[in-house]
Amino acid sequence: MKKIEVPQENNSTLNGQRKVMYGTNESGEFQRINYASSVEEFATITAVEEYHELEKECLEEIKNDISSPIKYFMYKNRMDLPTLSSVVDMFSFRVKRHLKMKHFRKLNDKILQKYALGFNIKIEELKDFKI
Amino acid sequence: MIDGFKHSQFAHCESGVVSTLLTHYGLKISEPMAFGITSTLSFVFLPIVKLNNMPLIAYRDLPKNIVKNIEKVLGVKVFKKQYKDILEANLELTRLVEDEKKLVGLQTSVFYLPYMPENMRFHFNAHNLLVYGKSGKNYKVSDPVFEDVVECSEKDLTTARFAKGVFSPKGFIYYPTYIPTNIDYTFILKKAIRKNAKSMLTPFPFAGVKGMRRLAKSIEKLQNNKDVRYVKNYLTHVVRMQEEIGTGGGGFRFLYAAFLQEAKAYELDKDKLQKASELITEAGDTLRLFALKCVESAKKIEKLNAKEISEILVKASIFEEEAFKILKNI
Repeated sequence: MKKIEVPQENNSTLNGQRKVMYGTNESGEFQRINYASSVEEFATITAVEEYHELEKECLEEIKNDISSPIKYFMYKNRMDLPTLSSVVDMFSFRVKRHLKMKHFRKLNDKILQKYALGFNIKIEELKDFKI
Repeated sequence: MIDGFKHSQFAHCESGVVSTLLTHYGLKISEPMAFGITSTLSFVFLPIVKLNNMPLIAYRDLPKNIVKNIEKVLGVKVFKKQYKDILEANLELTRLVEDEKKLVGLQTSVFYLPYMPENMRFHFNAHNLLVYGKSGKNYKVSDPVFEDVVECSEKDLTTARFAKGVFSPKGFIYYPTYIPTNIDYTFILKKAIRKNAKSMLTPFPFAGVKGMRRLAKSIEKLQNNKDVRYVKNYLTHVVRMQEEIGTGGGGFRFLYAAFLQEAKAYELDKDKLQKASELITEAGDTLRLFALKCVESAKKIEKLNAKEISEILVKASIFEEEAFKILKNI
């Protein structure tokens, strides 16, 4: 049986935890071994940073009156459109409209409350959003 | 607190939870066994289904496959329930772990579990964990991918159990209620391995070894894509789906190889099992090399050699094809 290399690198995304994988011991038997992989670390960090990047871009768009704070909080909560639609229980074409500033301004408190609940924030944070 | 419960860490959440549950209720079964006899090894690439604007890629069968199939395969009975009412779900969980002293499995969303490291919290709704007790307002949680037990408040755990979106758990709870005595493992293993071979060798172009090649082709196309950010996200997305969701995709291959080794203890063709197990280990190793190359290219997009990366994936698919051709008529 071929020996499986178990990576013992650093993975800062796990806050000191180590996951396990199946590897082989000297006699070729499988067993669980703790590991940490820098490949996984990079992939995770890239995904997290992509959301940060989207948040930043969104702030620019909010300044220019294009996007709404809902879009900002969507990214902040690492959601995409289908996830957010499911969270607030609305059709995605509706949610998509709410991501635009001109439609966002017309929203009533009832709808805004749904979003606030979904993002676990106060409704004021949406209404009086400041960059 | 439940007597005699010991936390163990596993490579994959669902197979780990099912293995612990069955072992706790009197049927000793390892994680690779739980994974293998439910024919969970898989590959799916669906470019039309988007997650965060990225295609769906999965290295194992759908979530809940193990919980659902273990009943059929072993003849165990599992109590399974989803809820409409959040309060009822929480009350019932408390009753089960506090009064009846039962160990139970739950489906949750990773994003809402406060003990998860910040960088690991994404909207993945099919994370399985065990609850083994309660103290005050906190549940005692045995999360199979963590080194040690953790605690989680009633409020947070309930939020995680009722997260929305794809695979929404709807408070899904499960625990075995009946364990049969005479289990014919030889028969079960044969059937499970054949079933898995069939699904990996399916003619459907987006699944099994064909799906791997389809993904390889779509990676090859990245070479001419000028959108650097998209290419970087695509490559790391592939790696995340492979290495992180549950255990690594390489990891799932090793898990299956371990299962085939364990199957040698029964009346099956040992040479075939050995050969296939070695091939699948090779496939797992090749997939890890593939992940490494994806990440290296994502770091330096200008050095991207998409052809080279896609060829590694094709190589892995060839190992798997060979292995499952051997296993097809075990």
